[in-house]
Amino acid sequence: MNRPQLIEKLKVIVTPYANNAQAVEALEEDTDFIKDLNINSANLVDIVLDIEEQFNIIIDNADMERMLTVRASLDIIETKLATK
Amino acid sequence: MIGNDVVDIAASRIESNWKRKGFLEKIFTTQEQELIKRASNPELYVWILWSMKEAAYKVYNRETGIRAVIPHELACKVDVVSQQAYKGTVTCRGGEYCTTTTVTNGVIHTIAVCNFLKGKKVTEVSGDVFKDANGWPYIYRSGLKIPVSKSNHGKSTKVVAFQ
Repeated sequence: MNRPQLIEKLKVIVTPYANNAQAVEALEEDTDFIKDLNINSANLVDIVLDIEEQFNIIIDNADMERMLTVRASLDIIETKLATK
Repeated sequence: MIGNDVVDIAASRIESNWKRKGFLEKIFTTQEQELIKRASNPELYVWILWSMKEAAYKVYNRETGIRAVIPHELACKVDVVSQQAYKGTVTCRGGEYCTTTTVTNGVIHTIAVCNFLKGKKVTEVSGDVFKDANGWPYIYRSGLKIPVSKSNHGKSTKVVAFQ
């Protein structure tokens, strides 16, 4: 799966937690879940869980620590998928 | 420094499912999960501990400038429970934060301060809240710039500052 495909999957995952559909549509690597999408931090945990389920990977606490942006999430997903 | 966090329980029921598989494990230490399990009202306890973590994180973030998703590292201890408030301590990476949590009409509100400011009076304030270049909020009081903490959830917004 390449980055544009991963970004499309991420858009689907974050949509239920973001109240600004336009911001989700404009989602790119620099997007910050909290600053740009206004996602509340409890829902950030849901996004981590959704990513785990969707990609069948495990995100440990050290990875979760960095998951404030789309870029960090993509890095983590790619690394995990590569070692599967 | 000061931090606060509001949880509107009615809004949390719409936005979150704390019983979701893996949710509690991602956020809480094993000791905290035990406290939740044994609580007479686990749902209330989930959000009390969550708001303690969030309020303490705001102080940690303001002290260090570090942004990170670290619910596990913000370890909560509830020291005193009275009818008025839950008094607790949150530790994070060597820092210690004192918290006071109140539950009023379905709204949980935690105020956290760094340990050496424990006991200093905190009040709710009103007026326009501005943000500095770091995104940290402040208000003007008699022409002076006063750091505040602001939290909004559901129908509730609270802004607090040292008196």
